[in-house]
Amino acid sequence: MSLSDVLSPFSAWKNLFRDPVSIPDPLNDRPGAPRYRGFHQNDIEKCIGCGTCEAICQNAAIDMVVVAEIATKPGDSGLRPRIDYGRCCWCALCVDVCMTSSLSMSNEYKWVDHDPEVFRFTPGIDLKHWDSTELGYRRPEGHRLTGNERVVMGELAPEARADSFVEIVAGYDLEQAKLEADRCVSCGLCVATCPTHMAVPEYIATIRDGDYEQGVRLLYQTNPFSNVCGRVCTHRCETSCAARHEGDPIAIRWLKRHIIDQVPHDRVKQIAAEGRVNEPSDHRVAIIGAGPAGLTAAFDLAKAGHGVTVFEALPAPGGMMRYGIPEYRLPYDKLDEDVDVIRSMGVEIRCNTRIGEDISIDQLREQHDTVLLAIGLHQGRSTRIPGSEHEDVVSAVELLRRITFGERFDVPKTVAVIGGGNVAMDIARSLARMQRQQHGQVGVTLVALEAEDLMLADREEIDEAREEGVVIIPSRGPRQCLIERDAVTGLETVHCVSVFDEQGRFAPKYDDSDIQVHDAGLVVEAIGQAADHVFLGESLTEALEWERNRIRIDADGHTSESWLWAAGDAVEGPDVITAVAAGHRIAASMMLAFAQKSGRE
Amino acid sequence: MTMQPLYQALKAGFPIGELTEQRPDLAFITVPREQLRGLLLHLRDQEGFTHLVLLTAVDWIEEDRFQLTYLLHDRKGARDIGLRVMLPRQAVIEGAPMESIHDLWPTAATYQRELREMFGIDFPDSPGVNEDFILEGWREIPPYRRDFDTLKYSNETFAPRPGRESQDPAQYMKAQLYPDGA
Amino acid sequence: MAYQADRSQYPSRRPDGSLDIDLSSGKYLKLWQGPQHPGITGNMSVELTVCGDEVVEGKTHVGYLHRGFEKLMERRTFIQCFPIVCRICVPEPDFNEYCYAAAVEELAGLEVPERADWIRTLILEMGRINSYLMYLGGQAGALGQGVIGQWTTYVRDLMLDRFEELSGARIYHMFIMPGGVRDGLPDGFDQRMEETLREIESTLADVKDVMFNNAVFKKRTVGLGYIDPAIVDQYGVTGPTARAAGVAKDVRRDQPYLVYPQLDFEPVVGQDSDVFTRADVRRRDLLMSVDLIRQILARIPRSGAVMAPLPNVLHWKIPFGETYIRGECSRGEYGYYLVTDGSGYPRRVNVRGPSYTHAMALLERLIVNCNISDVAALMVSLHTYPPEIER
Repeated sequence: MSLSDVLSPFSAWKNLFRDPVSIPDPLNDRPGAPRYRGFHQNDIEKCIGCGTCEAICQNAAIDMVVVAEIATKPGDSGLRPRIDYGRCCWCALCVDVCMTSSLSMSNEYKWVDHDPEVFRFTPGIDLKHWDSTELGYRRPEGHRLTGNERVVMGELAPEARADSFVEIVAGYDLEQAKLEADRCVSCGLCVATCPTHMAVPEYIATIRDGDYEQGVRLLYQTNPFSNVCGRVCTHRCETSCAARHEGDPIAIRWLKRHIIDQVPHDRVKQIAAEGRVNEPSDHRVAIIGAGPAGLTAAFDLAKAGHGVTVFEALPAPGGMMRYGIPEYRLPYDKLDEDVDVIRSMGVEIRCNTRIGEDISIDQLREQHDTVLLAIGLHQGRSTRIPGSEHEDVVSAVELLRRITFGERFDVPKTVAVIGGGNVAMDIARSLARMQRQQHGQVGVTLVALEAEDLMLADREEIDEAREEGVVIIPSRGPRQCLIERDAVTGLETVHCVSVFDEQGRFAPKYDDSDIQVHDAGLVVEAIGQAADHVFLGESLTEALEWERNRIRIDADGHTSESWLWAAGDAVEGPDVITAVAAGHRIAASMMLAFAQKSGRE
Repeated sequence: MTMQPLYQALKAGFPIGELTEQRPDLAFITVPREQLRGLLLHLRDQEGFTHLVLLTAVDWIEEDRFQLTYLLHDRKGARDIGLRVMLPRQAVIEGAPMESIHDLWPTAATYQRELREMFGIDFPDSPGVNEDFILEGWREIPPYRRDFDTLKYSNETFAPRPGRESQDPAQYMKAQLYPDGA
Repeated sequence: MAYQADRSQYPSRRPDGSLDIDLSSGKYLKLWQGPQHPGITGNMSVELTVCGDEVVEGKTHVGYLHRGFEKLMERRTFIQCFPIVCRICVPEPDFNEYCYAAAVEELAGLEVPERADWIRTLILEMGRINSYLMYLGGQAGALGQGVIGQWTTYVRDLMLDRFEELSGARIYHMFIMPGGVRDGLPDGFDQRMEETLREIESTLADVKDVMFNNAVFKKRTVGLGYIDPAIVDQYGVTGPTARAAGVAKDVRRDQPYLVYPQLDFEPVVGQDSDVFTRADVRRRDLLMSVDLIRQILARIPRSGAVMAPLPNVLHWKIPFGETYIRGECSRGEYGYYLVTDGSGYPRRVNVRGPSYTHAMALLERLIVNCNISDVAALMVSLHTYPPEIER
């Protein structure tokens, strides 16, 4: 202790001459830092209402609420997050996890009100003065909490697959599937988009948990064709996936396939049979056509104890899944597995039985309580251009059917395919394989009416076809098939300027000055298919209500005849999963009819 | 650095379980409760583990066990060792006592008082062990046990803010896009 | 504090060692310091039994701030725990974020990018400065010297501005998350930090003149609250409290973590182990943190990732395991004991802050024979924060 210890403290007096350090007007002169985590902003156009913000909020401060301004549409639930500032802790996990980056935080932090209820608000809907504030917390670049890169699917390289019908897609192994399943945020936006509302988040969760039997159980609740759909589904679910906004959508289709691939077939049969009604009912159902719609309805009905017989004109069940989809996309043994499960439910499938030839529709009606028409579209449409009546101008569906039959017919060295959809790709790629087998080289030219970016086929189909050597020329309209000495020698096409008119009607416009000739010993038409209704007979055809060459059905698939339902490509299309959904709907509708009938009796 | 030499030395004198080496400077050993005191004394007085870092419990309700973790620190060796003692959970709940170590480290009394309150693990010889520590007037089961449900307690004790309701996106979408329930 | 020679003034002991205090004798008085008392850091109370103005027994009572964090974390996913841990400690929240994140990373096997380690170290030192600034104000305030608190609050506020521009928040930064840190340094941060550091240094020079070179402060604090170095380990004493007793414990040097091995520093120690020495050790430690921040900013990587790639946090599961992570916070050793069971939730989290022993067993020992008017200064000198006792 010294004299300086007594004097030194008085140095504090020097502060008398300093300016105050406090901010004179803190309410106005003190903006939050540029990164400040202040009040929420939500770009409601970008927001898809996936609820991931609600899921991650550890305070339970977020509710997903209905807002009048936003309508539900595929990929957007129409809900928007409402935040309770009585609970929010401004951790910004909601901003970090937001799948579209619609949610952010402004640097505004002052909000005074006498009414506590206003501090629960829906950002972007309940307008605030900070809605357009530029500064504030945004998710930093690269800062992701959910993973955004899809696990790459192993596929046969073009050189390894181009001359073989071996399946191209390898399927995920356990580790890959777990990684891919891990990316799913379980929002469920995909469920409504899927025609049959598969429990996607739940079955993906079973992959994470390694509980594949539960996965199969969930698959069979909504879809008896998981082997098929796990390979060739049009996977519209993936277009609704929340992950697609800032990365790749979850590979939902491949994950479904992964589940069904993991469980032995016999075990799948046991799981599918869980809950099956063992006492047979006295109701009998006839189903015409063993495609996805017919067999799905058969599965449901048989599982509920009803007697089901499926009549199939072709030698094996599956419909277009077998006779339309090439083996390199869907191996026959995988389709057989799905059909086998359905058979094991007690469904009788009579193949090589054509209605109208082997048995009449009236006989079916007499022997059964109800009948389902699920005949598909097996007749190819023709372009009817000059020369198209030649025997070497054939329809794609017919040719695909012959390939499935195992016919090893000779393919000319040059082939022209007309059409830009998936069927055109299927036949072009199948023929390219056969050409490579027979001639060692590919000579397939595919002409599509639509421009490159408007072609109807899936992008991956187009890319893979090109990888395999198919020449794809968009914006070409077929003009005539060239025939010399009774043999087809080529296809003449003309440049197509536009496909639709201003009203959106099909009315292609051509530029006649731009004509090309494509060498072809065979011309394949793949411009659409039609159903063959001849077997219905005159009286039934007349009794039924029609709508543009299709039988008119109601929402349940019921026709105007009380005993007859219709489903599948012949009445609605366009894909397997839609047919599966229709099959379920019709089975439910028929069973309701049975119940009502027995209620009356 | 490894804890193996220490483990081998301890194993020679005490019947102890496997060594879990979490890091080169951190390991855990499960020890029989009868050996605990001897081991603690040995570690403190012979091996340089003079600092009791913490004493706490883990409730393995599925296996009917309480785990007590005694974490000791050796400052010179810059290493830690955790001794795990497994207690029969049901017996502890019914009042089976656990030996106090407050005479080895005075601070242990605080930990033991908290364990008594939060888990219901009794250390009868520990000073003031039955006095309320944090939870004055608590009437439920000891709250850090796994079977105490905080959410249920909260819902029963506090009123939620009215007007909160949320929709599940998947269910709501189905209802909107398929109003007929298909 | 010498014991009075006349032992008859003190209560006798019962056979079990407790004091036999007969309040009806009129010799003793019960006095409650807290739970709301300006001389107490946070809400806690000490039940004093006094004889005249001398304390014969003190008992710490906590329970006013219990929020059950450890239990709350058992029903939150690993990422959901991250925003709540900082709330365990207001003055220095970042230690909770760091210890929790490091424990999760270790058990989940995450490799944190080096740049994140530098930023974490920077944040922890910034937090240390803030904590010491609050302490200095409190220590002076406990002896009636309010002006120090005003000065340190001002410079602490400047540091909060730096926190705000770096992390987006002033108090609960929620910036260190499992995997790394949220973002890099903002543009111009170094310059503004340097200005802040200079302001802190200048203020600390004033604090030295007015608080430490002060006859009154010395008279009140020299010799008060002596901690025998021999009981340091026995009572689990750590941090500046231990270093003021000449025990050179500093986790940053003894078991280095983050980028401390790359920084140049020596633990600050004192000798006299009294309130004055503890305050002085903290003042010097604060200046060392200023130096560390300069070292960090001179060497911190300016580009590169700041987060390890995380699995989808919405269903992040961590395999069975347990670990203990410690660090040197401004008050001593801070640690997290984390047990995982393979699920998406922690099985058990135990937060171990230095106050747990400092404010309980140690304080109860030191307070005996203390003068009532010195109780506040003694308590503050242990630099305890009740929320980390109760959690």
